[in-house]
Amino acid sequence: MNTDNRKYVLIAFIIIVGIIYSVRLFYMQVVDETWTLRAQEIAEKRKEITPPRGVLFDRKGKKMVSNRTYYNLMFVEAKMKHFDTLAFANLIGWSKEHVRYRFYEIKKGEGKYRNKNTGKTTSNYQKIRPYAFLKELTLDEIAIIAPHLENFPGFYEEVTSMRSYPYSNGANIVGYLSEVNGEEIDEDNFYKPGNNIGRAGLERFYETELRGRKGIRYIVTSALNNAIESYANGKYDTIAKQGPYLKLGIDINLQAYGERLLKNKRGCIVAIEPSTGEILALVSAPSYDPNLFIGRRNISNNYSRLLSDPSKPLYPRPLAAEYPPGSTFKLLNSLIGLQEGVITPESGFPCNKSLVGCHNHASAGNLPDAIKHSCNPYYYAVTKRIIQQNKKKSVFEDAELGLNTWARYMRSFGLGSKLETDITGLSGGSIPDALYYDKWYGNHRWAFSTIRSISIGQGEVMLTPLQMANVAATIANRGWYIIPHFVKSIGGKGPKAIYKKKHYTLIDRSHFSVIIEGMRRVVHEPGGTGKRAKLKDIIVCGKTGTVQNPHGEDHSTFVAFAPMYKPKIAIAVFIENAKGGGGLWAAPTAGLMIEKYLTKKIMEKERETTILNANFSYR
Amino acid sequence: MRKQESLVTYFDWPLFIVYMLLLLMGIATVYSTAYNADHPNLFDFSQKYGKQIMWLGISLFLGLMVFLIDSDIYRKFCVPIYLFTLVLLVIVLFMPAVNGARAWLGIGSLGIQPAEFAKIGTALLLARFISSINVKQQTIQTVVYANAIILVPMVLILLQPDAGTFVVFTSFLFVMYREGITYDPVILKIVNAFPGVLFKKTWVGSHFIPILFVVVFLSIITLFMSNEIITFESFPGIEIPGFWGVVFTLAFFGILGMIFLRFVSTKRERNNASLVIVIGFVLSSILASIVNFGFQGLASHQKVRIELFLGLKEDPNGEDYNRNRAMAAVGSGGFLGKGYNNASVSSVESNHVPESETDFIFCPFAEEWGFLGTILLIGMYLFLLLRIVFIAERQRSTFNRVYAYAVAMILFYHFAINLGMNIGFAPVIGIPLPFFSYGGSSMMSFSVMMFVLLKLDSQRRDVLQ
Repeated sequence: MNTDNRKYVLIAFIIIVGIIYSVRLFYMQVVDETWTLRAQEIAEKRKEITPPRGVLFDRKGKKMVSNRTYYNLMFVEAKMKHFDTLAFANLIGWSKEHVRYRFYEIKKGEGKYRNKNTGKTTSNYQKIRPYAFLKELTLDEIAIIAPHLENFPGFYEEVTSMRSYPYSNGANIVGYLSEVNGEEIDEDNFYKPGNNIGRAGLERFYETELRGRKGIRYIVTSALNNAIESYANGKYDTIAKQGPYLKLGIDINLQAYGERLLKNKRGCIVAIEPSTGEILALVSAPSYDPNLFIGRRNISNNYSRLLSDPSKPLYPRPLAAEYPPGSTFKLLNSLIGLQEGVITPESGFPCNKSLVGCHNHASAGNLPDAIKHSCNPYYYAVTKRIIQQNKKKSVFEDAELGLNTWARYMRSFGLGSKLETDITGLSGGSIPDALYYDKWYGNHRWAFSTIRSISIGQGEVMLTPLQMANVAATIANRGWYIIPHFVKSIGGKGPKAIYKKKHYTLIDRSHFSVIIEGMRRVVHEPGGTGKRAKLKDIIVCGKTGTVQNPHGEDHSTFVAFAPMYKPKIAIAVFIENAKGGGGLWAAPTAGLMIEKYLTKKIMEKERETTILNANFSYR
Repeated sequence: MRKQESLVTYFDWPLFIVYMLLLLMGIATVYSTAYNADHPNLFDFSQKYGKQIMWLGISLFLGLMVFLIDSDIYRKFCVPIYLFTLVLLVIVLFMPAVNGARAWLGIGSLGIQPAEFAKIGTALLLARFISSINVKQQTIQTVVYANAIILVPMVLILLQPDAGTFVVFTSFLFVMYREGITYDPVILKIVNAFPGVLFKKTWVGSHFIPILFVVVFLSIITLFMSNEIITFESFPGIEIPGFWGVVFTLAFFGILGMIFLRFVSTKRERNNASLVIVIGFVLSSILASIVNFGFQGLASHQKVRIELFLGLKEDPNGEDYNRNRAMAAVGSGGFLGKGYNNASVSSVESNHVPESETDFIFCPFAEEWGFLGTILLIGMYLFLLLRIVFIAERQRSTFNRVYAYAVAMILFYHFAINLGMNIGFAPVIGIPLPFFSYGGSSMMSFSVMMFVLLKLDSQRRDVLQ
């Protein structure tokens, strides 16, 4: 049997395999992109660098919110060798079981991957990936652990940046940070698990500015996820950029002083610079120390406790709480009366207590005196003239027309809807109009007598303390306001255009001087209701308010501005359930704030002591 | 007669040169992939490249020794050599296991793998046996003897266990096929046992081995391709299922074969061969469809089991499967490659492709040199293999020819399987790429194997047996 021809079979095999492999390699290496992409996926990792957040300065350039370095204790299971659980537990001061549980927790929970499409979560924990065993340790805490880490291969420390608050004030303004949740990660691809996001206040409102720009490094990694070299010598890398600094209108000293004054009380102080609309201080009492909300451990320790506190320290009262303005509202009714021409500065009305209750004082013969005495029957008469102008035959239709006119004036002061202030958590208050009462009583079934409580700032009228302060600022400006705002400039640029625009009210400038004269009398003339706000060398113009409250003691309120000419500060003080009227508690508080801001020192120590010692936080 | 000629008068320089080139390219690739910045010296013996150079020196020294010995020695002492390698294979079974296999004899990196040297012993004895019989009258006895020579070391190797080398030993079947020792007597005995049947020979029995090879090779490629979809970057609309890719390739080779036949054969031969090609194409396509649709039709758990076995599917406990990583490294090389020392996926440091300096050394080479490099490498191996076949055919003695074919087929197996597992055409069974992969045992055994061949060839004229 001649088998020589069989050599061709073997030669054919060798050649065919060679050709098939060549074709396959041509397809894999030249034609098909799949494997190139897969290789990038395997070896080239995108590493994000989160920059520190932008810092916040007060109006004098003092650092209100800054960043501090913290440390995460990281581990990579694949690199752990001869792990001594007991020794490690002793090092970090935990029990052995706790350490074991933490590992279990990380494996089950923190390697969790949520599928965007199905919403299902699966643990994608990998031994070669780093995870934080302990998060956000302070320098002191890591200093104890770090020297011993060489005994625990696989563990290492990682630097992270978190907030710090050199002053413990203004928590309700700045807000706080916490870790992003799954929805936020899905919504905005900026965020990755473990990143922080602003949760309230300015941190939340200015989140996109403060967070800065992430840096991206493309690196070639090993199978153990170690960086080997930068990809393409860093050609595609971008540098992380810290968020711009925010310069606030807040005067941190004034803010701190306001918080001190409202200690053991519930209430608010809002101070605004009338000429710019910058918020100088925004005190919410009771509040909390923002340092309690730094990092996961602090938040988990303190958040639920503060949330369940009946005095609601997390609630930003000056922004969100709606109160009846009480007698301070009489200023606005006076202005509308003058503008509508239904009264003149010389109009006098008797103090007829059969119409509405009042305290004992001589009947006001003119408008400034009515403001000085805060005469209720006077304003009953004034507001009745505004609402019922006898322009229609039917008293109901007449009231409808009058109320809508009145409401239009009120809205021009920024009332009845949210101000466009640069913060979250705002409320709009309420200014009733015809439609509002139609819903309550039915169409044309109400007239002034039904709604008379609006004349003295009670009933359906609701303002937030921020709006009250803005009214004071508007009067100080004689007829216009700039939307109150916190941030003067972002990274040196600003303020924004909307915080430069003057909003004019529907009241002529000429009508303001008589009202302001009345406000001066309130403070500086004998028998004025706000005499406790009086200062030695500064003319303070103010108006007291005592808000009746079905739930307890009256609220004490006071709006003011100073000095009378070229005003530097407009202020609203609102103290809940203070025993006694607006003149007794709110007026001296406002006086102290004005004095503090304008003179930097307090002359009337007695007044300060009285306010500091007052305690209305019972119940 | 021999005295007038120098030792290298009939030395086959082309084979030696391509052998040396492959060794040097291998060292260059090992240096690139296992590069350690702390030890940049190529001759640093603490590093893999330094050791590989040391192995190269030892291999060349051994080669020189082999070359100085008269080739008669191999013919005379093939039985003791064969038995010696068997003894080593037995001893190694009592050694401690490394990576789950008792394959290493000796200490640490200085150990050797007896299985590598058993190939030489088996090749020599098989050559001796086949040259000693008259194969024109092959009987069941000769078939059994020849198979026994292969089977004994195979069983010992399977006990280690070393699946890769076990498979490589089946390459001897091709050598037997070339020499006419097939399973035909066995099949005739079975067929002729039926009353009234009396065949002198059967076509299937004679060509059993290449048919088996084609069936296995085609089945495995079809299996690997059955989950793939071939796409073309330049023609985004075109998507060919992997199975049809296999069928088209078969048709392509059929047509290529017919065109080739036009130039080399007479008309009569051509008609016969064309018939064989058409029947072969039809049968191959049927086989491919059975494999493909049979696999697709399997219950999912059976499918997963096969996929796991072939390394197609991610091992649920593993980080990622090696085959996928290796293919990513090869495929990302592109046309011109990423450049020497620039492999990002398959460098030892990154460790994405395990064993990237030994079994997967083709990865860093393909990643760094791209398609140009890989086509060159394939060309070099084809030249090497065909040169050995050419050498085999010019031998006067059967012994020499059988030995040369044994070398050719062993190297062919290593080449086909090793490259196949780098490009997704073969299951991942760990066997090195000859002369290229890092490792002393394989380099020494392949070198000795090569120099024995070179020696036999250089003395081809004075051998009359």
